[in-house]
Amino acid sequence: MRSTKQCLFLSVILVLAAAAPALSAESLAIVGGTVHPIVGEPFVGTVVIEDGLIAAAAADAEVPAGAATIDATGLHVYPGLMDALSQVGLVEVNAVPATDDQAEMGTYNPHLTAATAVHPASEVIPVTRANGITHVLVTPEADDDGIIPGRATLIHLGGWTIEEMAEPDTSTLVIDWPGVVTRRFDFRTFSIVESPFKEAEEKAQKAQNELRDWFDAARHYARAHAGERVRAERDLKLEALAGAIDGDRPIVVVAQSKRDIEDAVAFAEEQGVGLVLAGGRDAWEVKELLAEKSIPLILGMTQSLPRNEDDPYDRPYGVPGELVAAGLKIAFGSGAGGGFGPGGPHNSRLVPWEAATAVPYGLAEEDALRALTLWPAEMLGAADRLGSIEPGKIANLVVTDRSPLEITFRLEYLIIGGREVPTTNRHRTLYETYRAR
Amino acid sequence: MRQPLSARLLEFRIGSSLLKHRTCLPRQLFTAAGLAILLAASAFGEPPNPPPYYAIQNARVVTGNGSVLENATVLIADGLIEGVGAGLEIPADAWVVDGAGLSVYPGLIDALTDLGQAQESEESGASGRGGPAGGMPELLGPEDRPKTTPWVSAADLMGDDGRVEKWRSAGFTAAVSSPTGGIFAGSAALIHLGETDGAGPVLASDVAQRLNLDHGGFGSFPSSLMGALFYIRQIVSDTRHYSDSHALYAASPAGRERPGYDRALEPIGRALADGTPFLMPAQLAREIDRALVFGEEQRLPLLIYGAHSGYARAAQLARAKTPVLVSLDWPEAEKDRDPDADTPFRTLYHRRMAVTTPQKLIDAGVRYAFYSDGLASPSEFFDGVRAVIEAGLSEADALAALTSGPAAIYGVDDRLGTVETGKIANLVLASGPPWAEDVEVEAVWIDGRKYQERKIEEDFDPPASDVSGSWALTMTTPGGTRELTAELDMNDEGKVTGEIEGQTGTTQIDDGRMSDDLLRFKTTRSMGGRSMTASWSLTVEGESLSGSMSAGPMSMDISGERTAVAEAEDEEDGEEEEEVPLAELEAAMAVYQGPVREMETFAITNATIWTVSGETFENGTIVVRDGKIAAVGTDVKVPSGAEVIDAGGGHLIPGIFDAHSHIAIQGGGNEGSVAVTAMVRIGDVINPDDINIYRALAGGVTTANILHGSSNPIGGQNQLIKLRWGADAERLKLEGAPPGIKFALGENPKRSNFRSFRIPQRYPQTRMGVMDVIRQAFTEAVEYRRSWEEYRAARAGGDEPMPPRRDYKLEALVEILEGKRLVHSHCYRADEILQLLRLAEEFGFRVATLQHVLEGYKVADEIAAHGAGASTFSDWWGYKVEAYDAIPHNAALMTERGVNVSINSDSGEEMRHLNQEAAKAVKWGGLGEIEALKLVTLNPAVQFGVDDRIGSIEVGKDADLALYDGHPLAITSIVQKTFVDGDLYFDRETDRQRQATVDALKKRLLGDDNGEDEEEPSEEGGSEPEPEVIWQEEIYSCREIG
Repeated sequence: MRSTKQCLFLSVILVLAAAAPALSAESLAIVGGTVHPIVGEPFVGTVVIEDGLIAAAAADAEVPAGAATIDATGLHVYPGLMDALSQVGLVEVNAVPATDDQAEMGTYNPHLTAATAVHPASEVIPVTRANGITHVLVTPEADDDGIIPGRATLIHLGGWTIEEMAEPDTSTLVIDWPGVVTRRFDFRTFSIVESPFKEAEEKAQKAQNELRDWFDAARHYARAHAGERVRAERDLKLEALAGAIDGDRPIVVVAQSKRDIEDAVAFAEEQGVGLVLAGGRDAWEVKELLAEKSIPLILGMTQSLPRNEDDPYDRPYGVPGELVAAGLKIAFGSGAGGGFGPGGPHNSRLVPWEAATAVPYGLAEEDALRALTLWPAEMLGAADRLGSIEPGKIANLVVTDRSPLEITFRLEYLIIGGREVPTTNRHRTLYETYRAR
Repeated sequence: MRQPLSARLLEFRIGSSLLKHRTCLPRQLFTAAGLAILLAASAFGEPPNPPPYYAIQNARVVTGNGSVLENATVLIADGLIEGVGAGLEIPADAWVVDGAGLSVYPGLIDALTDLGQAQESEESGASGRGGPAGGMPELLGPEDRPKTTPWVSAADLMGDDGRVEKWRSAGFTAAVSSPTGGIFAGSAALIHLGETDGAGPVLASDVAQRLNLDHGGFGSFPSSLMGALFYIRQIVSDTRHYSDSHALYAASPAGRERPGYDRALEPIGRALADGTPFLMPAQLAREIDRALVFGEEQRLPLLIYGAHSGYARAAQLARAKTPVLVSLDWPEAEKDRDPDADTPFRTLYHRRMAVTTPQKLIDAGVRYAFYSDGLASPSEFFDGVRAVIEAGLSEADALAALTSGPAAIYGVDDRLGTVETGKIANLVLASGPPWAEDVEVEAVWIDGRKYQERKIEEDFDPPASDVSGSWALTMTTPGGTRELTAELDMNDEGKVTGEIEGQTGTTQIDDGRMSDDLLRFKTTRSMGGRSMTASWSLTVEGESLSGSMSAGPMSMDISGERTAVAEAEDEEDGEEEEEVPLAELEAAMAVYQGPVREMETFAITNATIWTVSGETFENGTIVVRDGKIAAVGTDVKVPSGAEVIDAGGGHLIPGIFDAHSHIAIQGGGNEGSVAVTAMVRIGDVINPDDINIYRALAGGVTTANILHGSSNPIGGQNQLIKLRWGADAERLKLEGAPPGIKFALGENPKRSNFRSFRIPQRYPQTRMGVMDVIRQAFTEAVEYRRSWEEYRAARAGGDEPMPPRRDYKLEALVEILEGKRLVHSHCYRADEILQLLRLAEEFGFRVATLQHVLEGYKVADEIAAHGAGASTFSDWWGYKVEAYDAIPHNAALMTERGVNVSINSDSGEEMRHLNQEAAKAVKWGGLGEIEALKLVTLNPAVQFGVDDRIGSIEVGKDADLALYDGHPLAITSIVQKTFVDGDLYFDRETDRQRQATVDALKKRLLGDDNGEDEEEPSEEGGSEPEPEVIWQEEIYSCREIG
């Protein structure tokens, strides 16, 4: 008896996991809710969706004939939230290597793309979107000494295949900055140990110069292959790297310490590439520099311990507000460091509260919402398509009973690519199954 | 050139008695036969044997008993001091030594060292067991007696040690030499630092038993500090049992089983019987506290060594009448540290305060002595002495700590330590106190025998140039070239000091001299357990130098360039430097680590008061008296004179209780070696200095259950603490709380996920095995209990049977069987939860809490029926297979089914916002707000049997309170104040001031260290800097590992 039931719900989960289609061809209208467009003041009105895009959003927008409607009276409509640096879809169970496709071996892998390994049927996807996350920048992680782990792609958390999920023209090179590492966790003694600075500095310098060599070589490669007579053999790595840095696409560089951030900024400037900093634990120490150069930041988990014992106990909580006050644009990424314990994409759903945690410590609520919607879209060159409720943008929307910054918010409806997606997931199914025991 | 240098090396190595024979030695020996042969020939040549009578005349005699005699005479005869005083008649047979312009001091004593021990042959057992011998370490348990060699006596280890002469020529005449390695390392001996002929150097053997708190990572037992402490406890207990059994047997052997002979317990038993002190390491305040508590519990006469935080514990040491050996290896800034890295205030504080320890000990009346603690040379030792004197210690007290102090501690002050008639003639004749700068030691008497280094009358030419500065050196060795750096400092006369740094470490320069353009010095370092001296001879030409270094038969060419000229030293004494007054520092420390304010009777008004056990009072008032809640409600009268705190509409909740935490642990949260470690106690290793205590207070937490990790099916004993930040470990402990123990099921105890960490595998590897280990353990415990019952019955019946051996492991398990110790079991999967409940029922006990219990929702009915509490995470999942079915509705669903549920952190971070984690149970599963708050307040208090005291806001309960500025379940609310026992331990306002005070003070303190900080990191990578781990955060979590 039970085994039949078990099998049944497992298959239900599998179906639901995938049952989030790409852009819908149908019309949908969300009526009567308080719309939070992010750009502009909230209003009570209607959001009209056609062909997967927002067709209209206004107090008096007309519901097209034949459109399906969602009654959002008393509810709130927000743009779908974004986890701006994430491994959702790349790992099912961290402790099981067989399910883990987050980090490839090798130091320079510019030719790898995380999207290649996204498992559209991963149980993590429906769990994540059930808390209002509609899209993430799926990002490869660096191996131990990895420097270029590969390229990231903005994906929607709905779709039968990665082709339906991936947002075009969002491929972004990722660099895990080869900085000075003197502190490491020693499993033998289970404590933090420090190694000689000079040694670490030399190692970092060497790695950074090697990275420069890669950039130079990639540009040379591109030139060599642009000519009419190409003698050079095809090199997938250089080709990918050249492609990633020759256009307008920014690169994402993960750096946490002040020194590493400064070095990364100098590197990007020297290389003439747009920079999105990720991590940014100590970014507050160089906020003026970052503001002056208009460098946006994907922050790691706000709920982190201070780095030093004498730091203010609430320093990590105050950093987002401090950066925004300095004029910086920020986003939050579950895979951008910080936090505690094994972390990873299973905590992607907590991203709204990482932003919310910073609110009482100086981050304005509106900015917290921007950091979850518009700003990450902007920094990754997708603000023409995502991040706010405006006509022409992709209809990734969440309908909630209150602000998603509040822990107790309920997600009533979830729209990805213009289509309503069920909020069912492994957790709710298990809950309902065992509650009925 | 080369051979004379070798000769000098030799005289240094073998001793001054060879000096006179230097020229007789066939020179080929140095180049061909090699050092080893020379070392083996310990007594070639024949030193003269003058009549044993001396008279030191016209000297200033610093007797060391308080008096200083000017222009006095010291008479020596047959190894003893025959007379001391002015105008003594000089016996005709005395060898008269003119002490004009010189002073006689009692010979110095190094109170703990390994000097005098044969350098090559250490007993292999001393440190050999328990370590990995290549590949996977062998897994040892306590029954294998790892690192236990109490039978090793330093007296038996005496032999050739080239270092002795170096210390002797600096004025050291005696030392307490101890075996170094192992938990029970062996016994120390008081030795003379004279020539080792005839009777040998030992003055007294077995003057102390040396303990170390050795432990490693996840290898063999003990892998943690608590494991090492348990082990000492068990061995001491075993020894008493052993002695009692033997006594009983000796009194009436008939019909008794004969107790066996135990090599390890015999010497410990002797030490206990004789009242021999046990040398116990304790550097920091918390370690001193721990040692004192342990010593008292075990009735062990302790001799604490280390004691750098003696400044903070002088009163406690005095009260315990425990003498102390103070290490002269004072804490100082690490070399080659990241210049951006923060140095904690407490580290800076400790560096400043440590050198005040001797004076504080004197003031408190604690007996103490100095010891070298591994310092390689007397010059470093004397640096340490001078640091204390600069901090205010008198020269007389410094001398006492090097002479009469150690003599008294080791009970030989009737024969050593002062210049008094009748005492052993251990004397130093020197131009001043031996530790003072530029003092020349003329001669040393040991046991009445004179040692005088014949000054090599080298004519030094004035230095041709100043070699001070940094040098990059290249050494040509048979294996290729090696890069070294030298930091040199030369005075006007041409004396050169400094150090050489290479890949294997830093070595101090000895006997450095620049004569004309020739720079010569020696370096001594320990290689493979023996010391090796090298002589350097370098010709300096401007900014470059060249020459050679010879060590034994080897000689290597050296060339080098100066990389930096030394900075002018005078700048250090510039006006900018500011000495922060110690009183100001101490005041700042009290603010840094202590309650914000101890409160008299007070009231909090204008608050929404969530009692959680009853009504929630809007606009309520609470009155706190004597640390307890005196009244609560809406129409409560505030007693006259009581302080009133207006909460400004904030919300007051009971202090948060974290049911699962691993903060505030020192030396490892897991005894991860063996599968059953019921005997280890987190309570032994509480670290009251963990900054996470303060951070948790800032998150409203007032009580935490500090747990052993989850590496073992049966882990160690947990400890409930109240977060009384600033209190010592004992005062953190929650009084009267039922004791408990950690169990663990599933992937962690079977080590499923740690194969890559090189942790040795062991039984169990499956959930079958986990249950078996637990069942076996309780089966043994039942037998153990029966053996005691039988023993007691027999005694009651008038017999005098052999007592059973006390087994701390089984004793803890018996307490579980008797319902006196609560089981808190880490578990994930529903099946393993059920198995444990059934096993507990089989043995007749109740599981108090299931920890994590991520699939508890699947067997909530069974958990409720058993009566176990459940303590879970809010929403973590998927990090391992057994967490794949974790759901955030777990807490709500189990509550619905009648289980007492709590939410815990298992993380120093999450601990800071357990209110938010509770709120998630409102979101996922729809728990009511009060029920949700109970998850982190009253429910855990019930689970741990302390709800009569804490967990809710009720009259009579402890005033443990957290005041938020908004709804306690809202993510936007911030804790404003936290009270423990009615005292204010966190205040957000004050925190800002605290921060500002500390930041400002740190700037000034770092300014003090300016010279140091601006120093360029040395060119060579050099050795691993030894991290100055003082307040080190150790963060453990069951989610990741054990």
